[in-house]
Amino acid sequence: MKLWRLRRANGEPATATPPTVSRAAPKQVLRPVSPVFIWATLAGGLALDLLPWGRTPLVPDFLALALVFWNIHQPRRVGMGASFLFGLLIDVHDGALFGEHALAYTLLSYGAIALHRRILWFPVLSQSLYVLPLLLVAQLVSAAVRLWVGGASADWWVGLIQSGIGALLWPVVTWVLFAPQRRPISRDETRPL
Amino acid sequence: MEYGPPPLFNQGVSARARLAFFSFLATLLIVIDARVNALDTIRVGVGVMLYPLQRALLWPRDAIVRASRYAATVASLTNENEQLRRDSVERAALLLKDEELKAENERLRRLQSVRERANVKTQLVQVLYEPRDRFSHKLVIDRGSSDGVRAGNPVVDDRGVVGQVTRVFPFVSEVTVLTERDQSIPAQIVRNGLRCVAFGGAEAGTLELRFLAANADVASGDVVVTSGLDGLYPPGIPVGTVARVERDVKDQFARVIVTPAGNINANGMLVVMQLTAPPLPPPPREDAATERPARRSPRR
Repeated sequence: MKLWRLRRANGEPATATPPTVSRAAPKQVLRPVSPVFIWATLAGGLALDLLPWGRTPLVPDFLALALVFWNIHQPRRVGMGASFLFGLLIDVHDGALFGEHALAYTLLSYGAIALHRRILWFPVLSQSLYVLPLLLVAQLVSAAVRLWVGGASADWWVGLIQSGIGALLWPVVTWVLFAPQRRPISRDETRPL
Repeated sequence: MEYGPPPLFNQGVSARARLAFFSFLATLLIVIDARVNALDTIRVGVGVMLYPLQRALLWPRDAIVRASRYAATVASLTNENEQLRRDSVERAALLLKDEELKAENERLRRLQSVRERANVKTQLVQVLYEPRDRFSHKLVIDRGSSDGVRAGNPVVDDRGVVGQVTRVFPFVSEVTVLTERDQSIPAQIVRNGLRCVAFGGAEAGTLELRFLAANADVASGDVVVTSGLDGLYPPGIPVGTVARVERDVKDQFARVIVTPAGNINANGMLVVMQLTAPPLPPPPREDAATERPARRSPRR
């Protein structure tokens, strides 16, 4: 952390993601992320959420996971505005209150952006411990809004399990969404790095 | 953020300001949507935009269903075919009788100069998907306002009422099933014609007849049908059967639990009904406001 503050004070332009070298893969410099890939994966998360899951329990919120990932790794490209708009899409699809998921995803995004410098210092498995409360907060906000408006549900706790499964999927999500940035630049086997 | 950027590098609006802005906007939307229902145009716009994607994503499931159906054995298909043929013959007899009864009913009504019953237009629809929302039980069907579906239309299956269209998009509509807490259906008990209102029950998947006096003549096993008093539901459609009646001395009302007749977890074909001529008289005109100035003006 101190190192970064120092470099900024020296006048280096602040990059989008401070630690291009993450603890999880300490000896690798990541390639720059492609904006097309970011938005394609967010659309993919949305598509997975739009699949006709019905009342199948234990299906995590893929879009929320993708949003958390990009908010942590690219907070200057994917912010709360994107989360808000994706939330509105989910609201319309689910026939929920207009703005319910928008509020939940906005708070999720804020949490992720506020924590992103801290989270990146941990290995991936510990990162899921930070992701779990973020997902939980999103679910609880959604539930609180419904209770406030006068809804009731017997199986609201399913949301908590879904968050748990989402957090368990975090290493997988990280691996998949980081894959294009971890590609070697050239296929040279004798590279020093 | 614990430390802000140096002023040299402008990072835009701070995260907290953004959080405040977007959460305020979302809360505003929620309040407007919950209390005023004024956002339906925006919702319909977003829905139309989302529609191609939704339809495309139903394809994998439909493909799996089709494939599994293709793999069905000949024996099971023959069985099903036979069953269906038997059903259709059985129903043919009922239908013939129905025609006769309808004609007779019409004659009698004309004799008594009673208003004729409203015609019912029906539309076969397919359930597209069940939204993931855990706080309300809805079904999304493949017909919308462009096919003439209107909010308020009852939705039935071959056994009874399933629910009511509550929100209409151009190409799809949302059906709220009748066991939802906010749904209510004017009903009556077939055995004695006792009128009542069926609400979504406290237990999931049940209905409740509220406001029936503690000594009301209801017993478990009674069949409940729509009464048609609201002008939305055609009369006589099965709603459910009374599962149990709890009479408590302390309470003024009996607690009547009804199991729905329609299959609320349906995933196939449903029928949307529409009364072509609502039998209700037109609502009273609100001309109190327009009358008052008219009365005053001659005095001046």
